[in-house]
Amino acid sequence: MSVATKTQPKLTVLNPEGYPPKVDARGMAPGLDTLQGKTVFLIDVGFENSDQFVEQLHGWLEEHEPGIRTEVVRWRDQHNPDPELCERIAAEGDAAIIGVGT
Amino acid sequence: MIELESKYGVPTVAVHVHVFARLVDSTARTNGMPRARQAFVPAPMFNQPPAVVRRYVEGDDAVHGGPFMRRVFDLLTRPLPDEDLRGARWDRSTPRLLEPDTEENLQQLFRESHWTDYLPIVLPTEERVEAMLAGTSRSADEVVGKHRPTIGMELWESTVEKVAVNAVMAGAAPEHFPVILAACASGDTGRQSSMSSMGSMVVVNGPIRNEIGMNSGIGAMGPYNYANSAIGRAFGLASQNLQGGSVPGVSYGGSQGCNLSYNCCTFAENEERSPFRPFHVDRGHRPDESTVTVFYVWGSVWSEHLRTYWPEKLKAMMSGLEPLEGALFVLDPIVAREFCDQGLDSREKIAQWVFENVRIPARRYWDHIMLNMVHELVEGGVEPWASLAKAEPDELIPLFQTFGVNVVVAGGETNGHFSIFQGAQMPPAFRSDPTLPLVAPVDPWR
Repeated sequence: MSVATKTQPKLTVLNPEGYPPKVDARGMAPGLDTLQGKTVFLIDVGFENSDQFVEQLHGWLEEHEPGIRTEVVRWRDQHNPDPELCERIAAEGDAAIIGVGT
Repeated sequence: MIELESKYGVPTVAVHVHVFARLVDSTARTNGMPRARQAFVPAPMFNQPPAVVRRYVEGDDAVHGGPFMRRVFDLLTRPLPDEDLRGARWDRSTPRLLEPDTEENLQQLFRESHWTDYLPIVLPTEERVEAMLAGTSRSADEVVGKHRPTIGMELWESTVEKVAVNAVMAGAAPEHFPVILAACASGDTGRQSSMSSMGSMVVVNGPIRNEIGMNSGIGAMGPYNYANSAIGRAFGLASQNLQGGSVPGVSYGGSQGCNLSYNCCTFAENEERSPFRPFHVDRGHRPDESTVTVFYVWGSVWSEHLRTYWPEKLKAMMSGLEPLEGALFVLDPIVAREFCDQGLDSREKIAQWVFENVRIPARRYWDHIMLNMVHELVEGGVEPWASLAKAEPDELIPLFQTFGVNVVVAGGETNGHFSIFQGAQMPPAFRSDPTLPLVAPVDPWR
């Protein structure tokens, strides 16, 4: 904004942006002390090749972190909430890894 | 992921490809969780073999550096400060008027704020916006609709005045304003954010086409008409500004982008020379009603006339298209009449011909991407997907269902040309309001 000259008149113009929704604060879940002995849900979110990513993630955890229990699940529809799966994870799991967002 | 954390209390790491780091950051902030747990792998993820994906898991976080899995573990186990446990809210309201400045500086401000298509705009002074508002009987503060770049993103809201601001910027005239309002109220966007780089095509039907001098003849889809150009540019600018942006890497992900987006390929159907009923009449409107229809389009294939071996040619032209994204024929009136001469004298008959004749092996139809896109429909037994999924690999199955084939007529009959665009109207669930009609009325916005 450094090119203004003294001879140019100043104009008043309207902001072209729409109205954004209100931002509601959403708190994060507390971190765990450890993952050992815990159940981590590995969620295939449904985008292309997400299943392959979750399979490889699962394989890596079984190989390197046998003390962590894992469960592979699939999000029902990549574009919409999946409350049934969320409730199951909350009831049976301690943490989750979801991917892959593209 | 946000809900798993905030509603269900499950610490969750969301994994993304690195090219969406800014989009992910923006989405987390607007969801009130600015430091949501995120980890990144390289792009691309699509179409990568297992060995490559395994290297992603074993490699470094593609945004933050350091081993990917160590970051995942750290995110799930580190203690959080109170502010992260509470989340964040803030005021996002914007002033109606910008700080007064010179023409040159305001042009720069609009460009650097990503409010333009990077070409000069007409600055929306109060006087110019007031003049634009004279093009409608609706009040300035009336809500026009909700807008978003794609499904899953937050919905912004607009008023008649906000649309008028963008119409002025595009260089539109007040008589164009009802069409622009109708397009903005349609639930569609002229700046869809898809990685696939889809553009828009806006087709206007009914009396308003001629009232405002739209072009449906020679050069209808090109830069040869004030109304076509201005309405399309206004819809594009309004879309990006009313939905919260169309900024590459933040609110736009199209890998290559789409040149059609400059004016959303806006034109009028050539109802006068078409042998078919007008498009909007086939969709249940009266001929004396005016409408606007938004299609989402990618590339096109082109040919001229239905020549001796036209069925073979047409099948070859279409057989490489993607099954789910539809086919949109834009026919010069000469070619529309040639279809009639072949007994295909309506849109429905052309769609039926495509359904019956354009077929590909099931194994190619049901490749990984297609299965991924509609797996929930197949698993849910929804037809026709459930039956199509049962086909043997070499069985020839319809590439398009009849509802996936659209036909519009435009052109000036300098010769018999036609294009087939990969494209269709957006499924309701993907629009900002799934209850809105796919063919939007213009007359309520006069």
